[in-house]
Amino acid sequence: MHKSDSRRCAYRRQTLLRYMIKMKIMLICIITSLVSVRATTYAQKVTLKFEQATLRDVLDEIQKQTGYDFLYNSTLIAKEQAISLTVNDRDFKEVLTELLHPRNLRFEIKRNTVFVRKRGPDVNPAPDRLPAANHQQTAHGIIRNTQGQPLSGVTVGLKGTSVATATDEGGRFSLPAEAGQTLVFSLLGYVPQEIAVPSSDGMEVQLFEEMSDLDEVVVVGYSTRKVRYLSSSVTTISSEKLKDVTSNDLSTMLQGKAPGVVVSSPSGAPSSAPRVLIRGAGTISASTSPLVVVDGNIGGNYNPADIESVSILKDAAATGLYGSRAANGVIIINTKRGEAGKTKVEFNNSFGFGNPTTGNFRLMNSQELYDFQTTFYDRDPSVLQNNTDWWGLAFGQGYVNNHNLSISGGSENVQYYASGVFYREEGTLAGTGHTGYNFRTNLDAKLTDRLKASVLINGNVNKNQLENSRTMYDAYTNLPFDPAFDGEGNPIDARFHPNWLGREKENFLHSLLYNYSKDRSWAISGDLNLDYTLTDKITLSSYNRTQFANGQTAQFFDRNTKQGGANGGELRNGTSSSNRLLTSNRVRYADTFGEHDLAILAAAEAETTTSDWSATSGKGLPSGRDVMSVATDVLLSPSGAREQVGFRKYLAQADYSYNNRYFFVASFVNEFSSKFGKNNPMANFYQLGASWILTNEPFWQENRILSFAKLRGSYGTVGNADGISNFAALGLYSITQDASYSGLPGAAPYQKGNPNLSWEKIRSANLGVDLTLWNRVGISLDIYEKKASELLYRQPLVATTGYSYVWVNAGSVRNRGLELNVTSQNFKAGNFTWETSLNMAFNRNQVLELSDGSAIFNPGARQPIAVGYDMDAYNLPIWAGVDPANGDPLWEKVTIDESGNRSIATTNVYSEAATSDSRQFTGTSAAPKFTGGISNTLTYQNFTLSAFFNFVYGNYVYNDTRVYFDNDGLYEAFNSMVLPKGWTRWEKEGDKATHPKPIVGGNKDSNQSSSRYLEEGSYIRLRNVRLGYNFPEKWLQSARISRLQVFISGDNLWTGTKFSGPDPEVSLSQVDLASGVSSFKYPVSKKVLFGLNVTF
Amino acid sequence: MIRPSIYGKLKLMTVAVLFFSCQKYYDPTEFINEEDALANESDVETATIGTYAVLKNAAYVRSGHFIMEYPGDAVAQGQSSADDLTRAYRYTHINTSDHCTNFWSQAYKVVAAANNVIEFVPNESSEGLRQLKGENLFLRAMMHFNLVRIFGRPYPQNSGENPGVPILKEGLSDEEAETLSRSSVKEVYDFVISDLLQAAELMSQSKNNSFASKEVAYALLARVYLYKEDQENAIKYADLVINSDRYALLQGSEYAGYFRAQPDNNRETIFAIRHMKVEDRAMSSIGSMYFSGDVSGNPLGQGVSGWAEIYASKKYYDFLNQHPEDLRNSFITPYVVNGELQYNQKLTPVTPMYYVNKYSLQEGLINLSSPVYLRLAEMYLIRAEANAKENNVDAALADVNLLRKRAGLSEDALYTPEKLATAGKTALDVVLEERWLELAFEGHRAYDLFRNNRSVVRDYPGTHSLNNTPTTDLHQEVKPTDNRVVFYIPQAEINRNSALKQNP
Repeated sequence: MHKSDSRRCAYRRQTLLRYMIKMKIMLICIITSLVSVRATTYAQKVTLKFEQATLRDVLDEIQKQTGYDFLYNSTLIAKEQAISLTVNDRDFKEVLTELLHPRNLRFEIKRNTVFVRKRGPDVNPAPDRLPAANHQQTAHGIIRNTQGQPLSGVTVGLKGTSVATATDEGGRFSLPAEAGQTLVFSLLGYVPQEIAVPSSDGMEVQLFEEMSDLDEVVVVGYSTRKVRYLSSSVTTISSEKLKDVTSNDLSTMLQGKAPGVVVSSPSGAPSSAPRVLIRGAGTISASTSPLVVVDGNIGGNYNPADIESVSILKDAAATGLYGSRAANGVIIINTKRGEAGKTKVEFNNSFGFGNPTTGNFRLMNSQELYDFQTTFYDRDPSVLQNNTDWWGLAFGQGYVNNHNLSISGGSENVQYYASGVFYREEGTLAGTGHTGYNFRTNLDAKLTDRLKASVLINGNVNKNQLENSRTMYDAYTNLPFDPAFDGEGNPIDARFHPNWLGREKENFLHSLLYNYSKDRSWAISGDLNLDYTLTDKITLSSYNRTQFANGQTAQFFDRNTKQGGANGGELRNGTSSSNRLLTSNRVRYADTFGEHDLAILAAAEAETTTSDWSATSGKGLPSGRDVMSVATDVLLSPSGAREQVGFRKYLAQADYSYNNRYFFVASFVNEFSSKFGKNNPMANFYQLGASWILTNEPFWQENRILSFAKLRGSYGTVGNADGISNFAALGLYSITQDASYSGLPGAAPYQKGNPNLSWEKIRSANLGVDLTLWNRVGISLDIYEKKASELLYRQPLVATTGYSYVWVNAGSVRNRGLELNVTSQNFKAGNFTWETSLNMAFNRNQVLELSDGSAIFNPGARQPIAVGYDMDAYNLPIWAGVDPANGDPLWEKVTIDESGNRSIATTNVYSEAATSDSRQFTGTSAAPKFTGGISNTLTYQNFTLSAFFNFVYGNYVYNDTRVYFDNDGLYEAFNSMVLPKGWTRWEKEGDKATHPKPIVGGNKDSNQSSSRYLEEGSYIRLRNVRLGYNFPEKWLQSARISRLQVFISGDNLWTGTKFSGPDPEVSLSQVDLASGVSSFKYPVSKKVLFGLNVTF
Repeated sequence: MIRPSIYGKLKLMTVAVLFFSCQKYYDPTEFINEEDALANESDVETATIGTYAVLKNAAYVRSGHFIMEYPGDAVAQGQSSADDLTRAYRYTHINTSDHCTNFWSQAYKVVAAANNVIEFVPNESSEGLRQLKGENLFLRAMMHFNLVRIFGRPYPQNSGENPGVPILKEGLSDEEAETLSRSSVKEVYDFVISDLLQAAELMSQSKNNSFASKEVAYALLARVYLYKEDQENAIKYADLVINSDRYALLQGSEYAGYFRAQPDNNRETIFAIRHMKVEDRAMSSIGSMYFSGDVSGNPLGQGVSGWAEIYASKKYYDFLNQHPEDLRNSFITPYVVNGELQYNQKLTPVTPMYYVNKYSLQEGLINLSSPVYLRLAEMYLIRAEANAKENNVDAALADVNLLRKRAGLSEDALYTPEKLATAGKTALDVVLEERWLELAFEGHRAYDLFRNNRSVVRDYPGTHSLNNTPTTDLHQEVKPTDNRVVFYIPQAEINRNSALKQNP
């Protein structure tokens, strides 16, 4: 306990007050700049009617109507009584001046906060306003957030009095108070807390972030809004939540984090980027990838390390302004910006190891395979001399090394952020890896009072080492009977090994000594953004971007290897480059009429991309010489092309709100693209949205349970133009080498034209509700329907037309779904907190119509597009198990007689089961019934433990590779999988088995495509678990370190699944051909990482 | 509120300028617009090259080879493969066969490409244009002929009244082309013959054997008439080719190296589908199914340069090897290691690995070949077969013996009517045997048997025996009346065009 006399106390209080205000200003500055607030609309006009009210009441009402925050020392206005006034739609500043001036008060507006202060130089409070002159006690302590970091600028007030202070940079406070009195701690963005002053010792207080994130400002379309006021379906993920999983790729980090955002990875290779699908696929042939918007413009380069926040826009009202290209949702990325003030240096590092997941999968060893094969095949026992674990030789330990250094700071007028990233991952599969370098500089400058400029520059270099030498194929199929190494420990060249038994005569270890497949790319993007305040109400902006990208690929197959042997060495080189120019010019008008707020935006955008590529390949290269000039001959004809594509867009948007209760947004977009037919290159899209904050209604009683409630609705149209060729609408003759004959140039029909080809259109409706309970539990629930029509479809044509396909706008697909997001602060007491967040999404897809009247597109495909079915529904010959009598495979055979009666029998003849009549919908689909993620975070003192699971339920995976290693004797020269628990092999008459009798040469086509290889793909995965420790600040002060954190983190450590392969994860992107298929899977890595983050 | 100052207005104007319009179309660089592709006479030549390029596609050449050759008895598949080619070999056809779908689509693409030229060039035009039109007519006929022999029953069955394939003429509207139904086998033959006659009439230039010319049309006419059992015309057009003096039978070592040399200068080839060095299809070639080895032609294990899963059948090899001196042995490379013939061990009984090299080693590239579609030897055999059927036994045997002598066989191995009588064979028997020996692996054998109402009999090791249980039963007989003598129309085509009716 400090002791102090009253004079000192009074003096300190006064400084504290000033300090508090200063801190608040600073804090607001920081927060606002952090979240890149730009031009949030605030009402300017007020309408007031008061009888005998206090000044505080009046100010509160003005606060409510304008949306400005008011900050004042309550002692200043405490005695003010009995104000009566009536104003009608007047500028609130005039009203304030009239109110405050007679009371010897003044106000000033900084940012969005109105500060009410005493007029004149004398700001000393009168002594009689002190709570008690004879106080001897002081309450003191330290305030931290849940991560254990000290919080500065927290207002600490003595309840029931006007005594208040703010914490300093170290989060410390002290103020006069007696034991038993209650202190109120508050800070914007945190849940206020009340704690009684203890009788002795300092206080350790922890403040919890507002769970609802309702006051977070997100970028929606072309404007920014507080989440609280959104009418649309948007999920925002902070950088902290994003970066638990270690990767150099954003989509990997997004997996399981946002409802309705399905991230799925067909490969665990470090160079492979997952697929992202938002709210189901609404297209047949076009792209399902969401549009990425970086720092306010479509497209762009970024590194996840520089991400400040990610917003995912899902419904029409949100994606609206990206309208014509936002059919698959929009991912908005904002990179970090500098903050005025002290220079901040952050250094984040992690290092760790990766190992492949193996799941329920195991291949046979020599003895097992011998035992199995000798039941049907004459295998010499000498094969047991070898027991090679090819899988183990192909997959091993990899590592990850990740460093990021950033420096940020600046003055009032110029702020900067500069960052460098180095990321290196060596994959678990031999010869694979990824190295990334990234550099970013973001500069924000206030050039004049009216003109602001931002210059953003990002450069990156990526290098990938890719699978080559058929490593993965051999890992799964090579026989354990074949040796990997000769007597001297060198890898054997299988081609010339006299007794090699494996089918492909391949030893990847030999090939890997010589061969490679790699690519290298660099990209630079530069943005110049200008904002000019023309008047109070009108802002002109020009956002401009230029992007360059360059890529190189090289594949080298040495003449000493199987891959390069036939041609005496092969080298394939490819180069590509592109440049993209984009300009977006905007006018914004914002005004307030009484309780009405209106903002209008108009913009014009143009974008053009030029790209070119070329590829050359040579053969006959001396061993180890991997440059083209040593090739003695051409391998394939050189190829290359150049092309250009353009977009042009006009848009307008109006945002209107009334009294912070009712919100409306409407927008209109007109867009042109050079991709489409000359008859229909343009399309119009519109969007409407509305929301209602129930808890802001006057009739809403203060409710202790429901602290916030909002209803949202939106409807609109968006479009899709991506994923189709830039010349899809044109009737074309090819003049490439393919069109040549006998070495002479030719021109051959290539594509049927369709001058009417136009935008794919998606009509989408969304209803949502956001609730906050007990100020601790936030719930968001959305239901939506997306109906895509005029689908861009590469329609196969009757062969007699002479073409394979024509691009048409055909058919209609609907996605309906429900999304749930819950965040909850389950428990908090003292130094211990427990938070949970859960998200789940259910999506149902159905093909409604195929406009050429047909019932099915791509009949005969494993996943045809059929009216009335899920686009991902499987249609296959139906596996009917194993005949107990003789171990034959059985399938269903459907016969339709003359009168159309359908009967089902079983057959052991595959060709009878593969007819178009016999192929049937299996009732299963590659689309999951639901997906989601759940995370738990526990904090105790300086320790934080978090665990994050993602899950996928109800999808079926076509395990394509079982054709090779689960083939009932067809390929005795391939290894076999060990049958997982529950699977059995037919051995004798009467056996009820899952697997047919093995027979040399295969048992009656039993491994042909059928529902036999469909497996349940549901899984739950411990995506990340992380334990972090923040060093206590007092230890760090002497080293001038403001934060030091160490952590240990594990990715993908556990997966629960029934799937028989090593990794159940497959592409869930619906449209691409790999969707739902597991084929020679590169399994995801289990990683364990150690990290150190330092901030100076 | 906008201040009414000039300053403000200026700024607004600047913005207005920025709101520029940017509606521009771009042209591709690898493609040309179809309107520009055949706009004037100088485009006809490039468009004709384009028709050949469509023909050159693997979907036609490779898939076509599988479905034309593998149903015969010169080949043995030594191990099962998941590839659809297995079904062509084993007669386990399905209506979604990849290779049939490829072949059907690609053949009609060739026709459509040809039709564009045929429609564009009037019959009365310059010599050069008439030649080009003739080449397109030839290709159109060749496509229809191959389609009808794959998807329509042999001509002699029901006198050509069985369903054939759709006839795709020039000048049809989109709607007409999309709803074509199957013409009868006879109608297709008549269409093919009329196209070939017109083509022969129009063509007057002697291009090399990568291109069609008058004699090429005659050669195909001879084959078509033979299939149609029109012996007189078969002999007539075979004579026209043989007597044209454009072609000669290769002799001795030149004959033994028939398929390895530069193809355009081969004097025996009438028409081959030329593949350049850069069109080596490597493991996806026809040759990779038959052969694996080094660039000198020495055989190596399966998988080194090719899959080597399809071998010369034991039946064929044994028949050929009755005369080990027969030069046609050079087209077979038995896989021998240390003097020991290797067997594919994957079936019981095991299959001898007689590699076939007719599709390998062109110009020193292991998997490169330019498949020969018509060659002079076949003309002699056509004439011989027609003569045999007309009971001109001496004439028939003369042509057969000509080829046997060329193959290096001595007098003892040549046929006389007396020897036939002793052996109890007819002239047609020996002509068909000679066709088998000479034209093996060139896509003839199954048709030769079926159109002569004979069965394909395969009593030798190969995966066709897997149709039977137990697998050691080495018998398979496919009768000419079997439904599976013809392939299913691709189901996808029937789905898109309900006028098409499926084969039973």
